[in-house]
Amino acid sequence: MGGLLVALVATPIVIVPLLFLVLDEISAAEFVFWLVAAVIILGALGAVLLPNIVHATLALVVTLLAVAGIYLLLSSEFLALVQVLIFGGGVTILLLFGLMMTKAQDDPIVSDGAQKPFAFGVGALLAGVLTVAVLDVEWADEAGATVVPFRELGVRLFRDFGIPFEVASLVLLVALIGAVAIARHSEPEPEELAEERTE
Amino acid sequence: MPIENFLVLAAILFAIGFYGVLARRSAILILVSVEIMLTAVSINMVAFASYLDPDRFTGIIFAIFIITVAAAELALALAIVLRLYRTRSSVNVDEVNLMRW
Repeated sequence: MGGLLVALVATPIVIVPLLFLVLDEISAAEFVFWLVAAVIILGALGAVLLPNIVHATLALVVTLLAVAGIYLLLSSEFLALVQVLIFGGGVTILLLFGLMMTKAQDDPIVSDGAQKPFAFGVGALLAGVLTVAVLDVEWADEAGATVVPFRELGVRLFRDFGIPFEVASLVLLVALIGAVAIARHSEPEPEELAEERTE
Repeated sequence: MPIENFLVLAAILFAIGFYGVLARRSAILILVSVEIMLTAVSINMVAFASYLDPDRFTGIIFAIFIITVAAAELALALAIVLRLYRTRSSVNVDEVNLMRW
């Protein structure tokens, strides 16, 4: 049943851009873009709409890995690698451990869904405003995505943006210590330990 | 490939994440939706860097920092959610409506 639904959705998404590619309307890069964009949008919709909480988190993982494909289309391989490692590796594990430790129950936990239509309206309005704003601009001529030289990326990151880089490492250190400090079980006070010993 | 493809994709993704933040009741799924929004901004930045700024590509540096801060923020937010769960035995954000109990 689920496989049939996936086949029904995936067939037009693959066939229509393929037709356009064969008819020389779009380039091969744009065909790949449409496929990856479809995976991203479907994954994001799954992450915000699926009631089963584990399914929603796995849909997020699919979305984040497909975004790495977008970065490859934009010719920044380093960022695609970073995306797969950090989001596909770290964030996934973090979210799934969080689900495990909070004994994930399916969402909606409560039957009150009164704000879902409001949220849908505001979300659609936001998407509409942003899309119109983007399409209204006369962007520069289509030079296409330029390849980012990797050596210059390193020079730029460590020389021009050296201070934000150090601050970012400080942010990670604070997050590490803070997460351990917040989430660990608090130890009993020494007086309580002494009382337990004398009883 | 025109740049509008990437920008409209980022806009739609941002709106989907925005809907998720408003509509989800579990704290962890709200964090998932925030991650979607941050990824959308990241796509936007990298598209700008690749198309409009090919010799200084500041957007890619920006995207690296977005990914870093997103990971740190997710770790801290999950620590808070764990603490909340330990006290209340529930991660439903509708029930977290007292400043102190």
